[in-house]
Amino acid sequence: MQVPPVKPSPRAQLPLRGGDHPSRSEKCRSFACRVALFAILTTFLTTQLKAQTQREEEVKPVPLLTGSAGFITTFDGGEPHLHPIATPLLLVPIGQRWVFESRATFETDMVQVPGQSGFHGSVAKEVEYAQLDFIANPYVTVTMGRFLTPFGIFNERLYPVWIRNLQSDPLILPIGIGPSNASTGAMVRGGFKASSKFNINYTAYFSALSTVSKLDSDRFAGGRVGIFVPAAQLEIGGSFQHGLQDQRSNAFGFHGIWQPPALPLDIRAEYARSIAGSGYWAEAAFRLSQIPFHQNELRRTQVVARMQQYFVGENSGDALLPANTKLFEFGMNYYFIDGLKASANYGRKFSSAGNANVWTMAITYRFVIPLGHTGSE
Amino acid sequence: MARPYILICLLGVMAGLTFSALAQEHANSASSPSAAAPAQAQGKSSTSAATHTSSLAKAVPDAAQERALRVEGEKRFRTNCGRCHQAPHKFPPRVMAAAIRHMRVRAMITDEDMRLILRYMTQ
Repeated sequence: MQVPPVKPSPRAQLPLRGGDHPSRSEKCRSFACRVALFAILTTFLTTQLKAQTQREEEVKPVPLLTGSAGFITTFDGGEPHLHPIATPLLLVPIGQRWVFESRATFETDMVQVPGQSGFHGSVAKEVEYAQLDFIANPYVTVTMGRFLTPFGIFNERLYPVWIRNLQSDPLILPIGIGPSNASTGAMVRGGFKASSKFNINYTAYFSALSTVSKLDSDRFAGGRVGIFVPAAQLEIGGSFQHGLQDQRSNAFGFHGIWQPPALPLDIRAEYARSIAGSGYWAEAAFRLSQIPFHQNELRRTQVVARMQQYFVGENSGDALLPANTKLFEFGMNYYFIDGLKASANYGRKFSSAGNANVWTMAITYRFVIPLGHTGSE
Repeated sequence: MARPYILICLLGVMAGLTFSALAQEHANSASSPSAAAPAQAQGKSSTSAATHTSSLAKAVPDAAQERALRVEGEKRFRTNCGRCHQAPHKFPPRVMAAAIRHMRVRAMITDEDMRLILRYMTQ
Protein backbone atom coordinates (compact mmCIF):
# COMPACT_ATOMS: atom_id res chain seq x y z
CA MET A 1 0.00 0.00 0.00
CA GLN A 2 1.32 3.39 -0.91
CA VAL A 3 0.64 6.35 1.29
CA PRO A 4 1.76 9.79 0.11
CA PRO A 5 3.98 11.80 2.43
CA VAL A 6 2.11 14.02 4.82
CA LYS A 7 2.71 17.69 4.32
CA PRO A 8 2.20 20.32 6.96
CA SER A 9 -0.85 22.50 6.63
CA PRO A 10 -0.39 25.26 4.06
CA ARG A 11 -1.67 27.64 6.71
CA ALA A 12 1.27 26.74 8.92
CA GLN A 13 3.68 27.86 6.22
CA LEU A 14 2.08 31.23 5.51
CA PRO A 15 4.37 34.04 6.57
CA LEU A 16 3.01 37.08 8.34
CA ARG A 17 3.43 39.87 5.86
CA GLY A 18 4.33 43.41 6.91
CA GLY A 19 1.36 45.72 7.22
CA ASP A 20 -1.10 42.84 7.45
CA HIS A 21 -0.86 41.96 11.14
CA PRO A 22 -3.67 39.73 12.39
CA SER A 23 -5.49 40.59 15.58
CA ARG A 24 -4.88 38.68 18.84
CA SER A 25 -8.09 36.66 18.45
CA GLU A 26 -7.15 35.70 14.90
CA LYS A 27 -3.75 34.58 16.11
CA CYS A 28 -5.36 32.46 18.84
CA ARG A 29 -7.77 30.93 16.35
CA SER A 30 -4.92 30.19 13.95
CA PHE A 31 -2.88 28.56 16.72
CA ALA A 32 -5.89 26.55 17.93
CA CYS A 33 -6.52 25.37 14.37
CA ARG A 34 -2.94 24.22 14.02
CA VAL A 35 -3.03 22.35 17.32
CA ALA A 36 -6.34 20.72 16.41
CA LEU A 37 -5.04 19.75 12.99
CA PHE A 38 -1.91 18.24 14.52
CA ALA A 39 -3.96 16.31 17.08
CA ILE A 40 -6.33 14.95 14.43
CA LEU A 41 -3.46 14.01 12.17
CA THR A 42 -1.61 12.24 14.96
CA THR A 43 -4.72 10.37 16.10
CA PHE A 44 -5.45 9.27 12.55
CA LEU A 45 -1.92 8.13 11.96
CA THR A 46 -1.74 5.99 15.07
CA THR A 47 -4.73 3.80 14.36
CA GLN A 48 -3.20 1.18 12.10
CA LEU A 49 -0.17 -0.02 13.90
CA LYS A 50 -0.71 -2.47 16.63
CA ALA A 51 0.29 -5.66 14.80
CA GLN A 52 3.40 -4.11 13.35
CA THR A 53 4.69 -2.75 16.64
CA GLN A 54 4.00 -6.02 18.42
CA ARG A 55 6.30 -7.86 16.00
CA GLU A 56 8.90 -5.13 16.27
CA GLU A 57 8.86 -5.18 20.04
CA GLU A 58 9.59 -8.87 20.48
CA VAL A 59 12.97 -7.55 21.55
CA LYS A 60 12.69 -4.65 23.96
CA PRO A 61 15.21 -1.90 23.20
CA VAL A 62 17.52 -0.73 25.96
CA PRO A 63 18.59 2.92 26.49
CA LEU A 64 21.99 3.60 24.97
CA LEU A 65 24.81 6.03 25.46
CA THR A 66 26.59 6.01 22.15
CA GLY A 67 28.49 8.53 20.08
CA SER A 68 32.01 9.24 18.98
CA ALA A 69 35.27 10.75 20.10
CA GLY A 70 38.19 11.94 18.07
CA PHE A 71 41.44 13.78 18.05
CA ILE A 72 42.02 15.78 14.88
CA THR A 73 45.21 17.63 14.02
CA THR A 74 45.15 20.11 11.17
CA PHE A 75 47.83 22.23 9.54
CA ASP A 76 45.94 24.90 7.64
CA GLY A 77 48.28 27.16 5.69
CA GLY A 78 51.08 26.13 8.04
CA GLU A 79 49.15 26.95 11.22
CA PRO A 80 48.67 23.92 13.48
CA HIS A 81 45.31 23.25 15.14
CA LEU A 82 44.60 20.56 17.74
CA HIS A 83 40.97 19.59 17.80
CA PRO A 84 39.81 17.05 20.38
CA ILE A 85 36.09 16.34 20.11
CA ALA A 86 33.58 14.14 21.90
CA THR A 87 29.94 13.79 20.84
CA PRO A 88 27.91 11.59 23.19
CA LEU A 89 24.46 10.58 21.99
CA LEU A 90 21.75 9.48 24.39
CA LEU A 91 19.02 7.21 23.02
CA VAL A 92 16.02 6.45 25.20
CA PRO A 93 13.33 4.27 23.62
CA ILE A 94 10.00 4.84 25.40
CA GLY A 95 7.26 2.27 25.00
CA GLN A 96 6.67 0.90 21.56
CA ARG A 97 6.56 4.02 19.44
CA TRP A 98 8.57 6.74 21.10
CA VAL A 99 12.23 7.53 21.27
CA PHE A 100 14.03 10.46 22.85
CA GLU A 101 17.45 11.26 21.42
CA SER A 102 19.92 13.96 22.21
CA ARG A 103 23.45 14.62 21.08
CA ALA A 104 25.92 17.01 22.66
CA THR A 105 29.32 18.15 21.45
CA PHE A 106 32.36 19.01 23.52
CA GLU A 107 35.21 20.30 21.41
CA THR A 108 38.04 22.74 21.36
CA ASP A 109 40.18 24.25 18.64
CA MET A 110 43.60 24.73 20.21
CA VAL A 111 46.12 26.97 18.48
CA GLN A 112 49.48 28.47 19.32
CA VAL A 113 49.24 32.01 20.69
CA PRO A 114 52.16 34.35 19.93
CA GLY A 115 54.24 34.99 23.04
CA GLN A 116 52.89 31.96 24.88
CA SER A 117 54.04 28.38 24.93
CA GLY A 118 51.83 25.44 24.05
CA PHE A 119 48.37 25.35 22.53
CA HIS A 120 45.42 27.34 23.81
CA GLY A 121 41.70 27.24 23.21
CA SER A 122 38.43 27.15 25.06
CA VAL A 123 36.11 24.17 25.29
CA ALA A 124 32.88 24.68 23.35
CA LYS A 125 29.84 22.83 24.68
CA GLU A 126 26.65 22.51 22.71
CA VAL A 127 23.49 20.43 22.62
CA GLU A 128 23.27 19.71 18.91
CA TYR A 129 19.81 18.25 19.10
CA ALA A 130 17.27 17.03 21.63
CA GLN A 131 14.24 15.57 19.97
CA LEU A 132 11.28 13.38 20.73
CA ASP A 133 10.28 11.01 17.93
CA PHE A 134 6.90 9.39 17.62
CA ILE A 135 6.71 6.51 15.16
CA ALA A 136 3.10 6.99 14.15
CA ASN A 137 2.94 4.25 11.54
CA PRO A 138 5.20 2.52 9.00
CA TYR A 139 5.09 5.62 6.82
CA VAL A 140 5.22 8.55 9.21
CA THR A 141 7.40 9.58 12.13
CA VAL A 142 6.66 12.85 13.92
CA THR A 143 9.58 14.67 15.53
CA MET A 144 9.35 17.55 17.98
CA GLY A 145 12.00 19.63 19.69
CA ARG A 146 15.41 20.64 18.45
CA PHE A 147 16.53 18.57 15.47
CA LEU A 148 19.28 18.62 12.87
CA THR A 149 18.00 20.52 9.86
CA PRO A 150 17.40 17.99 7.07
CA PHE A 151 18.84 20.01 4.22
CA GLY A 152 21.05 17.84 2.00
CA ILE A 153 22.61 14.72 3.49
CA PHE A 154 25.81 15.77 5.23
CA ASN A 155 24.39 17.54 8.27
CA GLU A 156 21.99 14.79 9.23
CA ARG A 157 23.65 11.60 8.09
CA LEU A 158 27.38 12.08 7.54
CA TYR A 159 28.39 14.63 10.19
CA PRO A 160 29.79 12.44 13.04
CA VAL A 161 33.57 12.10 12.95
CA TRP A 162 33.43 8.30 12.85
CA ILE A 163 31.20 8.34 9.76
CA ARG A 164 32.70 11.04 7.55
CA ASN A 165 35.38 9.94 5.10
CA LEU A 166 37.31 13.21 5.28
CA GLN A 167 37.44 15.10 8.55
CA SER A 168 36.94 18.58 7.12
CA ASP A 169 33.42 19.94 6.64
CA PRO A 170 32.23 20.60 3.10
CA LEU A 171 32.47 24.31 2.28
CA ILE A 172 28.73 24.51 1.56
CA LEU A 173 27.66 22.78 4.79
CA PRO A 174 26.29 25.98 6.42
CA ILE A 175 23.86 26.56 3.54
CA GLY A 176 20.31 25.75 4.54
CA ILE A 177 20.93 24.29 7.99
CA GLY A 178 20.37 27.33 10.19
CA PRO A 179 22.67 29.24 12.54
CA SER A 180 23.76 26.26 14.68
CA ASN A 181 23.04 23.35 12.32
CA ALA A 182 19.67 22.74 13.92
CA SER A 183 16.03 23.75 13.86
CA THR A 184 13.54 24.20 16.68
CA GLY A 185 10.05 23.05 15.87
CA ALA A 186 8.39 20.01 14.39
CA MET A 187 8.98 17.65 11.52
CA VAL A 188 7.30 14.72 9.81
CA ARG A 189 9.42 12.17 8.02
CA GLY A 190 9.48 8.61 6.85
CA GLY A 191 10.50 6.08 4.27
CA PHE A 192 8.41 3.55 2.42
CA LYS A 193 8.56 1.13 -0.45
CA ALA A 194 6.96 2.87 -3.41
CA SER A 195 7.34 -0.07 -5.81
CA SER A 196 9.34 -3.26 -6.10
CA LYS A 197 12.17 -1.23 -7.62
CA PHE A 198 12.57 1.79 -5.37
CA ASN A 199 11.87 3.35 -1.97
CA ILE A 200 10.95 6.92 -1.23
CA ASN A 201 12.06 8.87 1.82
CA TYR A 202 10.78 12.32 2.73
CA THR A 203 10.83 14.94 5.42
CA ALA A 204 8.89 18.18 5.92
CA TYR A 205 9.66 20.55 8.77
CA PHE A 206 8.95 23.91 10.33
CA SER A 207 11.45 25.77 12.48
CA ALA A 208 10.66 28.68 14.78
CA LEU A 209 12.92 31.62 15.50
CA SER A 210 15.04 31.17 18.61
CA THR A 211 17.63 33.62 19.85
CA VAL A 212 18.67 31.66 22.93
CA SER A 213 22.44 31.39 22.93
CA LYS A 214 23.69 28.04 21.56
CA LEU A 215 20.10 26.98 20.90
CA ASP A 216 19.44 29.54 18.22
CA SER A 217 17.50 28.78 15.08
CA ASP A 218 15.89 30.63 12.20
CA ARG A 219 12.25 30.68 11.20
CA PHE A 220 11.82 28.65 8.05
CA ALA A 221 9.99 25.72 6.54
CA GLY A 222 11.27 23.15 4.15
CA GLY A 223 11.44 19.60 2.98
CA ARG A 224 13.55 16.94 1.40
CA VAL A 225 12.65 14.01 -0.81
CA GLY A 226 14.87 11.12 -1.85
CA ILE A 227 14.50 8.06 -4.05
CA PHE A 228 16.54 4.98 -3.22
CA VAL A 229 16.99 2.18 -5.76
CA PRO A 230 18.27 -0.83 -3.77
CA ALA A 231 19.27 -2.92 -6.81
CA ALA A 232 21.59 -0.19 -8.08
CA GLN A 233 22.43 1.05 -4.56
CA LEU A 234 21.68 4.55 -5.77
CA GLU A 235 19.99 7.34 -3.85
CA ILE A 236 19.18 10.72 -5.31
CA GLY A 237 17.16 13.52 -3.83
CA GLY A 238 16.52 17.19 -3.42
CA SER A 239 15.97 19.70 -0.61
CA PHE A 240 14.03 22.93 -0.48
CA GLN A 241 13.72 25.59 2.18
CA HIS A 242 11.77 28.84 2.41
CA GLY A 243 12.84 31.49 4.89
CA LEU A 244 10.05 33.06 6.94
CA GLN A 245 12.02 36.01 8.25
CA ASP A 246 14.28 38.81 7.00
CA GLN A 247 14.54 38.48 3.23
CA ARG A 248 12.24 35.42 3.03
CA SER A 249 14.71 33.86 0.65
CA ASN A 250 14.69 30.33 -0.72
CA ALA A 251 17.41 27.68 -0.67
CA PHE A 252 17.55 24.44 -2.57
CA GLY A 253 19.93 21.58 -3.12
CA PHE A 254 20.43 18.13 -4.59
CA HIS A 255 22.25 15.09 -3.30
CA GLY A 256 23.28 11.67 -4.53
CA ILE A 257 24.87 8.52 -3.12
CA TRP A 258 25.94 5.63 -5.30
CA GLN A 259 27.64 2.39 -4.34
CA PRO A 260 28.26 0.34 -7.48
CA PRO A 261 27.27 -3.19 -6.41
CA ALA A 262 30.36 -4.78 -7.98
CA LEU A 263 32.90 -2.47 -6.33
CA PRO A 264 33.75 -1.39 -2.76
CA LEU A 265 33.26 2.21 -3.87
CA ASP A 266 31.19 5.00 -2.31
CA ILE A 267 30.38 8.05 -4.40
CA ARG A 268 28.61 10.97 -2.75
CA ALA A 269 27.83 14.43 -3.97
CA GLU A 270 25.82 17.48 -2.98
CA TYR A 271 24.90 20.79 -4.53
CA ALA A 272 23.35 23.69 -2.62
CA ARG A 273 22.28 27.19 -3.55
CA SER A 274 20.91 30.05 -1.47
CA ILE A 275 21.22 33.79 -1.09
CA ALA A 276 24.25 33.10 1.12
CA GLY A 277 26.16 31.34 -1.64
CA SER A 278 26.28 28.22 -3.71
CA GLY A 279 28.57 25.32 -4.42
CA TYR A 280 29.05 21.60 -4.60
CA TRP A 281 31.17 18.75 -3.30
CA ALA A 282 31.75 15.34 -4.80
CA GLU A 283 33.57 12.56 -3.00
CA ALA A 284 34.73 9.06 -3.90
CA ALA A 285 35.98 6.51 -1.37
CA PHE A 286 37.42 3.18 -2.48
CA ARG A 287 38.12 0.28 -0.14
CA LEU A 288 41.17 -1.73 -1.23
CA SER A 289 39.58 -5.06 -0.33
CA GLN A 290 39.81 -6.52 -3.83
CA ILE A 291 43.58 -6.24 -4.16
CA PRO A 292 44.96 -9.80 -3.97
CA PHE A 293 48.02 -9.19 -1.79
CA HIS A 294 48.45 -7.96 1.82
CA GLN A 295 44.73 -8.54 2.18
CA ASN A 296 44.64 -8.24 5.94
CA GLU A 297 45.96 -4.67 5.75
CA LEU A 298 44.47 -3.56 2.45
CA ARG A 299 40.91 -4.64 3.21
CA ARG A 300 41.04 -2.20 6.13
CA THR A 301 42.34 0.63 3.96
CA GLN A 302 40.23 3.15 2.10
CA VAL A 303 41.45 5.87 -0.23
CA VAL A 304 39.33 8.99 -0.51
CA ALA A 305 39.24 12.01 -2.78
CA ARG A 306 36.94 15.02 -2.67
CA MET A 307 36.53 18.02 -4.93
CA GLN A 308 34.50 21.00 -3.87
CA GLN A 309 33.82 24.54 -4.89
CA TYR A 310 32.07 27.44 -3.20
CA PHE A 311 30.81 30.69 -4.71
CA VAL A 312 30.08 33.66 -2.47
CA GLY A 313 26.48 34.89 -2.48
CA GLU A 314 24.87 38.24 -1.75
CA ASN A 315 24.68 37.63 1.99
CA SER A 316 27.29 35.05 2.95
CA GLY A 317 27.27 35.72 6.72
CA ASP A 318 29.88 34.47 9.20
CA ALA A 319 29.51 30.72 8.73
CA LEU A 320 30.54 30.69 5.07
CA LEU A 321 33.87 31.66 3.54
CA PRO A 322 34.24 35.29 2.46
CA ALA A 323 35.77 34.46 -0.96
CA ASN A 324 35.21 32.07 -3.83
CA THR A 325 37.11 28.89 -3.00
CA LYS A 326 38.05 25.67 -4.67
CA LEU A 327 39.37 22.81 -2.54
CA PHE A 328 40.73 19.45 -3.59
CA GLU A 329 41.50 16.83 -0.94
CA PHE A 330 42.68 13.27 -1.00
CA GLY A 331 43.61 10.93 1.80
CA MET A 332 43.45 7.53 3.38
CA ASN A 333 41.46 5.87 6.16
CA TYR A 334 42.59 2.79 8.04
CA TYR A 335 39.95 0.84 9.97
CA PHE A 336 41.66 -0.95 12.87
CA ILE A 337 38.44 -2.51 14.16
CA ASP A 338 34.75 -1.73 14.04
CA GLY A 339 34.43 1.94 14.95
CA LEU A 340 38.12 2.78 15.36
CA LYS A 341 39.65 4.60 12.42
CA ALA A 342 42.83 6.54 11.64
CA SER A 343 42.80 9.12 8.86
CA ALA A 344 45.33 11.24 7.04
CA ASN A 345 44.67 13.57 4.16
CA TYR A 346 46.10 16.46 2.20
CA GLY A 347 44.20 19.29 0.56
CA ARG A 348 45.05 22.23 -1.63
CA LYS A 349 42.85 25.29 -1.30
CA PHE A 350 42.58 27.79 -4.14
CA SER A 351 40.95 31.01 -3.08
CA SER A 352 40.92 34.65 -4.11
CA ALA A 353 41.89 35.33 -0.48
CA GLY A 354 45.04 33.20 -0.89
CA ASN A 355 46.01 29.62 -1.66
CA ALA A 356 46.97 27.20 1.10
CA ASN A 357 47.87 23.59 1.85
CA VAL A 358 45.74 21.77 4.40
CA TRP A 359 47.06 18.65 6.14
CA THR A 360 44.84 16.64 8.46
CA MET A 361 45.49 13.64 10.69
CA ALA A 362 42.87 12.12 12.92
CA ILE A 363 41.92 9.17 15.04
CA THR A 364 38.24 8.61 15.68
CA TYR A 365 36.22 6.08 17.62
CA ARG A 366 32.55 5.18 17.89
CA PHE A 367 31.38 3.81 21.23
CA VAL A 368 28.18 2.07 22.32
CA ILE A 369 27.36 1.73 26.02
CA PRO A 370 24.07 0.05 26.94
CA LEU A 371 22.34 1.58 29.96
CA GLY A 372 20.66 -1.60 31.06
CA HIS A 373 20.47 -5.36 30.63
CA THR A 374 21.27 -6.33 27.04
CA GLY A 375 19.68 -9.77 26.86
CA SER A 376 16.78 -10.63 24.61
CA GLU A 377 14.19 -9.63 27.19
CA MET B 1 46.65 26.42 32.99
CA ALA B 2 43.76 23.98 32.80
CA ARG B 3 44.28 23.29 29.10
CA PRO B 4 47.01 20.62 29.50
CA TYR B 5 44.83 18.78 32.00
CA ILE B 6 41.89 18.87 29.62
CA LEU B 7 44.14 17.55 26.87
CA ILE B 8 45.48 14.79 29.12
CA CYS B 9 41.93 13.85 30.16
CA LEU B 10 40.79 13.67 26.54
CA LEU B 11 43.80 11.56 25.61
CA GLY B 12 43.04 9.32 28.59
CA VAL B 13 39.45 8.95 27.48
CA MET B 14 40.63 8.12 23.95
CA ALA B 15 43.08 5.53 25.30
CA GLY B 16 40.36 3.99 27.48
CA LEU B 17 37.96 3.81 24.58
CA THR B 18 40.63 2.25 22.39
CA PHE B 19 41.35 -0.44 24.97
CA SER B 20 37.63 -1.08 25.36
CA ALA B 21 37.32 -1.40 21.57
CA LEU B 22 40.22 -3.82 21.41
CA ALA B 23 38.70 -5.85 24.24
CA GLN B 24 35.36 -5.88 22.44
CA GLU B 25 37.05 -6.98 19.21
CA HIS B 26 38.87 -9.73 21.09
CA ALA B 27 35.58 -10.88 22.63
CA ASN B 28 33.92 -10.90 19.22
CA SER B 29 36.70 -12.94 17.63
CA ALA B 30 36.66 -15.33 20.61
CA SER B 31 32.91 -15.83 20.29
CA SER B 32 32.91 -16.35 16.53
CA PRO B 33 34.05 -20.01 16.65
CA SER B 34 31.17 -20.72 19.00
CA ALA B 35 28.85 -19.36 16.34
CA ALA B 36 29.78 -22.34 14.24
CA ALA B 37 28.78 -24.71 17.02
CA PRO B 38 25.03 -24.32 16.54
CA ALA B 39 25.53 -25.03 12.85
CA GLN B 40 27.41 -28.22 13.68
CA ALA B 41 24.80 -29.12 16.24
CA GLN B 42 22.16 -28.44 13.63
CA GLY B 43 24.00 -30.76 11.26
CA LYS B 44 24.08 -33.50 13.89
CA SER B 45 20.46 -33.04 14.79
CA SER B 46 19.43 -33.13 11.16
CA THR B 47 21.36 -36.40 10.75
CA SER B 48 19.60 -37.94 13.71
CA ALA B 49 16.33 -36.54 12.46
CA ALA B 50 16.68 -38.57 9.30
CA THR B 51 15.00 -41.35 11.21
CA HIS B 52 12.01 -39.11 11.82
CA THR B 53 10.94 -38.25 8.29
CA SER B 54 7.73 -36.53 9.28
CA SER B 55 9.42 -34.00 11.54
CA LEU B 56 12.18 -33.48 8.99
CA ALA B 57 9.68 -32.71 6.25
CA LYS B 58 8.20 -30.05 8.52
CA ALA B 59 11.56 -28.64 9.60
CA VAL B 60 13.13 -28.26 6.15
CA PRO B 61 10.74 -25.57 4.85
CA ASP B 62 11.09 -23.67 8.14
CA ALA B 63 14.88 -23.85 7.97
CA ALA B 64 14.88 -22.81 4.31
CA GLN B 65 12.58 -19.89 5.08
CA GLU B 66 14.69 -18.88 8.04
CA ARG B 67 17.82 -19.00 5.88
CA ALA B 68 16.15 -16.93 3.17
CA LEU B 69 15.08 -14.32 5.71
CA ARG B 70 18.59 -14.20 7.13
CA VAL B 71 20.14 -13.75 3.67
CA GLU B 72 17.63 -11.03 2.82
CA GLY B 73 18.23 -9.35 6.18
CA GLU B 74 21.98 -9.31 5.59
CA LYS B 75 21.45 -7.87 2.13
CA ARG B 76 19.22 -5.09 3.48
CA PHE B 77 21.71 -4.46 6.27
CA ARG B 78 24.60 -3.98 3.82
CA THR B 79 22.50 -1.87 1.46
CA ASN B 80 20.94 0.44 4.03
CA CYS B 81 23.60 0.80 6.71
CA GLY B 82 26.50 0.84 4.24
CA ARG B 83 25.05 3.82 2.41
CA CYS B 84 26.37 6.15 5.10
CA HIS B 85 28.89 4.26 7.23
CA GLN B 86 30.88 1.07 7.60
CA ALA B 87 28.56 -1.74 8.59
CA PRO B 88 29.08 -2.42 12.31
CA HIS B 89 29.49 -5.75 14.06
CA LYS B 90 26.49 -7.36 15.62
CA PHE B 91 25.41 -6.03 19.00
CA PRO B 92 23.32 -7.69 21.71
CA PRO B 93 19.60 -7.91 20.76
CA ARG B 94 18.31 -5.10 22.97
CA VAL B 95 21.13 -2.78 21.90
CA MET B 96 20.39 -3.51 18.27
CA ALA B 97 16.68 -2.90 18.82
CA ALA B 98 17.45 0.59 20.17
CA ALA B 99 19.97 1.34 17.42
CA ILE B 100 17.62 0.25 14.66
CA ARG B 101 14.84 2.44 16.04
CA HIS B 102 17.24 5.39 15.99
CA MET B 103 18.29 4.57 12.43
CA ARG B 104 14.71 4.21 11.33
CA VAL B 105 14.20 7.85 12.26
CA ARG B 106 17.61 9.15 11.18
CA ALA B 107 18.09 7.25 7.92
CA MET B 108 14.38 6.82 7.15
CA ILE B 109 14.73 3.14 6.37
CA THR B 110 11.46 1.44 5.55
CA ASP B 111 9.48 -0.61 8.03
CA GLU B 112 10.15 -3.81 6.10
CA ASP B 113 13.89 -3.15 5.93
CA MET B 114 13.95 -2.37 9.64
CA ARG B 115 12.30 -5.66 10.59
CA LEU B 116 14.52 -7.74 8.32
CA ILE B 117 17.68 -6.03 9.57
CA LEU B 118 16.60 -6.42 13.18
CA ARG B 119 15.90 -10.09 12.61
CA TYR B 120 19.28 -10.61 10.96
CA MET B 121 21.16 -8.70 13.63
CA THR B 122 19.49 -10.39 16.58
CA GLN B 123 19.37 -14.04 15.50
